[in-house]
Amino acid sequence: MRFWAMILAGMLWCGAASAHHVLGRPAYSLNEDSNTPPSMEVETQIGDYFVTFMAFPAFPRPNEPGRVNLYATRIDDGAPFDGKVTFKVRDDSWFSDNEETLGIQPPDDHVFRQGFVFSKAGDYIVTAYFEDGGEPYVVDFPLRIGAPSSIGPLGITVGVILAVLVGVSIFQRKRMERLKLRRHQDVVREPR
Amino acid sequence: MALSLPDIDWNATLCQVPGFMVHPGLPIWAGAVVASAVLLGSGLALFSAPPTRVRAWHLELARVPLIGAWIRWLTTSPWPLLALRFIVVGFFLMVIVAGLYGTPIPERNLATALTWNLWWAGLIISVFFLGSAWCAVCPWDALATWLVRRRLWGRGNAGSSLNLRVPRAVRNVWPALALFVGLTWLELGVGVTTSPYATASLALLMVVLATVSLALFERKAFCRYFCPVGRTVGFYAQLAPVELRPVNTDTCARCTTLDCYHGNDAVEPCPTHLVMGRLTQNTYCTSCGNCAQSCPHQNVGWRLRPPSVEAVQEARPHWDEAWFMLGLLALTGFHGVTMMPFWEGWIRELGRFIGDSGQLLWSFSIGLAVSLSLPILLYALCVGMTHRLTRRAVPYKRLFAGLAFVALPLAFAYHLAHNLSHLVLESAGIGTLFTNPLGLGTQPLSEVERHLRHADMLIPQGALYGIQAALMIFGFWIALMVIRHRGRALFPEGQALQRWSLLPMLVFVVVITAFHLGLLMQPMIMRM
Repeated sequence: MRFWAMILAGMLWCGAASAHHVLGRPAYSLNEDSNTPPSMEVETQIGDYFVTFMAFPAFPRPNEPGRVNLYATRIDDGAPFDGKVTFKVRDDSWFSDNEETLGIQPPDDHVFRQGFVFSKAGDYIVTAYFEDGGEPYVVDFPLRIGAPSSIGPLGITVGVILAVLVGVSIFQRKRMERLKLRRHQDVVREPR
Repeated sequence: MALSLPDIDWNATLCQVPGFMVHPGLPIWAGAVVASAVLLGSGLALFSAPPTRVRAWHLELARVPLIGAWIRWLTTSPWPLLALRFIVVGFFLMVIVAGLYGTPIPERNLATALTWNLWWAGLIISVFFLGSAWCAVCPWDALATWLVRRRLWGRGNAGSSLNLRVPRAVRNVWPALALFVGLTWLELGVGVTTSPYATASLALLMVVLATVSLALFERKAFCRYFCPVGRTVGFYAQLAPVELRPVNTDTCARCTTLDCYHGNDAVEPCPTHLVMGRLTQNTYCTSCGNCAQSCPHQNVGWRLRPPSVEAVQEARPHWDEAWFMLGLLALTGFHGVTMMPFWEGWIRELGRFIGDSGQLLWSFSIGLAVSLSLPILLYALCVGMTHRLTRRAVPYKRLFAGLAFVALPLAFAYHLAHNLSHLVLESAGIGTLFTNPLGLGTQPLSEVERHLRHADMLIPQGALYGIQAALMIFGFWIALMVIRHRGRALFPEGQALQRWSLLPMLVFVVVITAFHLGLLMQPMIMRM
């Protein structure tokens, strides 16, 4: 049995988010005309398409329904993509290759909407797949469910520093012992 | 509740491009003032007599009435510095906690707001007044020292470090330059500035690097060779109006103990291998005050000086340092370019051309490489032309290293002007973050809040423009002095010739100043 499960949830429109000026960097926004929770938006570019991906809510939690919306327009003429988009999700943690299809979505007013519910917190990658002109387009977006682990960076930092300090301490102690031994040998040799 | 908007000229203050917070650039009048100063300065440089050696004045701060005793206490007592270190480390730990446990919304988290809006922007401005004082309270070094030496102050156990010599290949500033390029890549390419978690992780990484370096190598190799922030601060400190120097050089000449270099029973040695009696430049001084505390003759103190004298004539040229200064120039310009509205379009086009996708990191990296190369190539070309015009009187490499100081005031002036925009426009509202540093339960800023924050400037907009224009003129003027005085030092026998043979260097200074002025006159996209 898979360690996480997903259920398709409702497809709701969420408030427009303001774009960030660097592609691929998540931006959180709140539309002051709306009382909805904030959304997270990532813009990216692939082949002939400019893709906008939006996750709602911005900070989804386990067992809480959420949605991703995708909007793709041609870079050359701005025409929106109107085929079908397959959404998949995979666990992004180390040593894991679990992947599951979330659904295949037709456009709804040029927007591809996909609902989800994650049962476990963690880092996931949502993959949007579509084809145009015989060319496959695969776009990966990171999605964080729940709060990120704070043990990772702290643990690595403490671990590395401890290892180095203990290593240096052991090395220095052995060096001092060798030095003492050498001095002792010199003292023993001197009477000759 | 009715929202009352302050009396703001929105069109002059903020341009609302959908989704962006954009600040208008310098107005035409400010640009015209800078351009006039550049023309006037260039004419003066070409047609005035060759310069004579600068006789720099100095003012010993310990001898200034009223504040002298206080300055002496600050310099020779370990307690003020220790107290400051505790405070800075406290803020640093707050950044780590907020970054790892707080909200990912960058403008609501103390980690991103304090690190990038206040510290990163204010650090360079602090150099203008205090030189390399930041290094004395640096939390990376403070934590590393406490962990490795296992003492909060005073001389630590010598056996706590392996005290290895730094390999000869990296006993220069190349590692710091490489790390600075890497930091820029993380900052502007990957977007560490908008991720509290990544900001905290980067801060922890710097502590690890400082600690490992201190545990392995003698003295503070990280500060001297590897730290990108410390080296940047150090090079810019050549243009600072303060310096830590011997009060009387004769006392140093007669000194036989060299406590400033070796330390004593209570005080650590100089972390960067400096001998106070021979010190002529701030570049590697970390302002830690060990020399002042250990000197048995109390012969070390802070003093005021002309801000340009070191870059103009006192600092000794070195090949690696020349590259670092040119790297600084290129990277500061690059920071500005990435915040221009046209940058994203360029990177998108490049991404399409090379088939890049996603975050367009390949395209960004190419943009970074090109931006790094162009000013350096232009400099190399101008030095080459000077080399030819002077009939190869001085080897090219020596000329390249000797004239590279010209990059320093240009980079520093633009960096100050650019960071001033960030500090003035983006630090509003940071005080509220201290009441909720983790940003728990907060929402992203709405467009109205964003506008209000950016409109709540620390100083009036006209004053900001005036200071930025003055900084551009300051950088240009010091760069001119560098050309003239370094030229005189390089070609002492050809003074009549040097004015026109140094014309390519003047062109370099004018082109770079014009480029920086152009960037400042463009609308600038804000970080948050």
